Amino acid sequence: MIILELENVSKSYNTKKIIDNISFSVDQGEIFGLLGPNGAGKTTTLRMMLDIIKPESGNIKVFGKDLDPNSKDRIGYLPEERGLYKKSKVIELLVYLAQLKGMTKTRAMENTVNLLQSVEMLEHKDKKIEELSKGMQQKIQFIATIIHGPDLIVVDEPFSGLDPVNTQIIKNILIEQKKGGKTIILSTHMMEQAEAMCDRILMINNGMIVLNGKVGDIKNKHRNNSIFLEFEGNLSSLEGLDQIENIIRHGTYIEIFLKDGHDVQSLIEDIVTRVRILRIEQSTPSLNEIFIKIVKGVSS
Amino acid sequence: MNKSLMIAKYEFLKTVKRKQFILMTLGFPLFFILIMLVPLLMAGTSSPEDLNLGYIDKTNSFEFPDEITVRGSMIFSNEIPGVTNNEELDATNNEKYPIIKLTQYSDVASAKQDLGSGTLSGYLIIPEDYIKTGIVESYMIGKLTDIPQKELSELMVNNLLRDKVDEETLQRVKDPITFKRFSVETTGEVSEKGLSDLLEDFALPYLTGILLLISIFTSSGYLLQSVAEEKESRIIEILLSSVTPIEMLTGKIVGLGSVGLLQIAIWLSVGFAGLIYVFALSINPFLLILSLAYFILGFLLFASMMGAVGAISGSMRESQQLIPIFTFPAIAPIFFMQVLITEPEGTLSMFFSMFPLTSPVAMLIRMGVSDVPLYQIAVSLIILMVSVYFVIIASARLFRVGLLMYGKRPAIGEIVRHMKTG
Repeated sequence: MIILELENVSKSYNTKKIIDNISFSVDQGEIFGLLGPNGAGKTTTLRMMLDIIKPESGNIKVFGKDLDPNSKDRIGYLPEERGLYKKSKVIELLVYLAQLKGMTKTRAMENTVNLLQSVEMLEHKDKKIEELSKGMQQKIQFIATIIHGPDLIVVDEPFSGLDPVNTQIIKNILIEQKKGGKTIILSTHMMEQAEAMCDRILMINNGMIVLNGKVGDIKNKHRNNSIFLEFEGNLSSLEGLDQIENIIRHGTYIEIFLKDGHDVQSLIEDIVTRVRILRIEQSTPSLNEIFIKIVKGVSS
Repeated sequence: MNKSLMIAKYEFLKTVKRKQFILMTLGFPLFFILIMLVPLLMAGTSSPEDLNLGYIDKTNSFEFPDEITVRGSMIFSNEIPGVTNNEELDATNNEKYPIIKLTQYSDVASAKQDLGSGTLSGYLIIPEDYIKTGIVESYMIGKLTDIPQKELSELMVNNLLRDKVDEETLQRVKDPITFKRFSVETTGEVSEKGLSDLLEDFALPYLTGILLLISIFTSSGYLLQSVAEEKESRIIEILLSSVTPIEMLTGKIVGLGSVGLLQIAIWLSVGFAGLIYVFALSINPFLLILSLAYFILGFLLFASMMGAVGAISGSMRESQQLIPIFTFPAIAPIFFMQVLITEPEGTLSMFFSMFPLTSPVAMLIRMGVSDVPLYQIAVSLIILMVSVYFVIIASARLFRVGLLMYGKRPAIGEIVRHMKTG
């Protein structure tokens, strides 16, 4: 089931196009990564999804229809630019924010206590926001995002400023939410996070889509036609193989580039007969490498 | 619960619990009471000291008693309930009155000598041409001690008119006018007006007007502060993902408007309670209802403008710099108070009581000094309502676009464009 759909959406500020005619959709139950360098238009895209700003042209459908107050209550949003009322008490603020999402006070109170417990912050419930550390404040902001049990969770750079322990706590909660059938849109420029968590990603740069698909598919597509090999034996015995285009030495191992139209499988069979293999690995670029390659390629 | 109401409730409670609010609301009447009490207390505790005065009469026509009692500093009068006459008051308070001893000297030199030795606190010289000029020279040690002028004047009058007029005329000369006021209605009906009537007619609308102004400013100031704070702390985006900008603006206006109402209600009830107790006033319910109407409309007007200002400006400080644009016209009626009071039907007064930024205060003041025709009140209220309607629409549009703009403030042209298109 499609939870979110954007169709030919554009937006510009003072004649500068921020988002240029993009279309994509997000399915229920997946973690969808919205990636791109700073200033690519990620936050603008998210704001349009949430009806905080209006698109210039194009259509946005959430839960199968145009965004209305009811569906807004089913979304949880953690903006990148985030803050809280400094003078408010943790529990009062969270209950208020949950109520603004249409929850009853009793339910809101229940959820607040449960969630505070799950991030080990229940003891701080009566403190004022300004008395908390920055990391704690961020956890409170994250709780505010999911306090009303949203079906669609939209998080913009959720891990920025968090230490590894807290990052793991938040990550676990997100994965738990996914297991519960919730849909998650994760916007970030941290590729390792996206690679580890996302089922599908959409990469935008300068307001346009440059990549869209399953993480595995994208990596396969951007795979260099090469293998890494660590071996015992004579390198020259490999050089005569006619599937090989080129060999690059990387210290303890080599990278073998295949000629077009040749299969890795047959190459390995040939290698086995000539040298003793210690390690062999098909080279797959990380999302980070793909990201850098694409961003540089577009801008150069 | 409706989301606007939820915001209203939250904002109301948040503001009411603020130290600033409590201080302002309770402090203001206390401050007023203090201002009124301090002179009373001062007068009661530090009575003028006894004086030992010498005098040299160069006209040779005055004859003063050896000593006089100064009652001039009395702040109480025989109007005080429970105290029936001056003698009773004298009997209880006599020892408190300062006494001035008067000694005649024939020449300046001996008076000077006694002043030097400390026998005298000072001396007066009545020059030969006193009748022409009215000048009496006074020589005192050190700083100018307060000479009870009223008592000395009476002495002079007594001396000047002695044997020339009868006792009754003498008393009349000392106290020539006591006004008894009558007001002639348009119907020709004549009624006597006492002090309390004057207060009712003038002071109440005047006070209400000023309190209205302060209250509108403080509560719309809270609104500005709350919007700017949300923008600065960046909670705004979290809120906007839950509610629409219109819901947010109306919620804030209702919540903080109630704060203003509460504040003015406290002030007025303290003020009226005081006035009713002291002067036995009755309050005109029509005036009260009108004040309420002007407060609500005036607040809506200013608050929605402040909301827009808060939304388009980058920070608290920047928004506070923009406030005078709105407060200046609102204060204008106070500056032109003189005109409003003396010419309540004049062009300027008419303008002020119709122009939406000034009408809440100006109309209440006008009503205090003259009988404003009902149709004028109606017209001014209608103008105010229509302005409120348009300002709220324009502000809501600006609110929406302004809230997420960080960094630079939009240019005037941009603002106008956003007002039109939203």
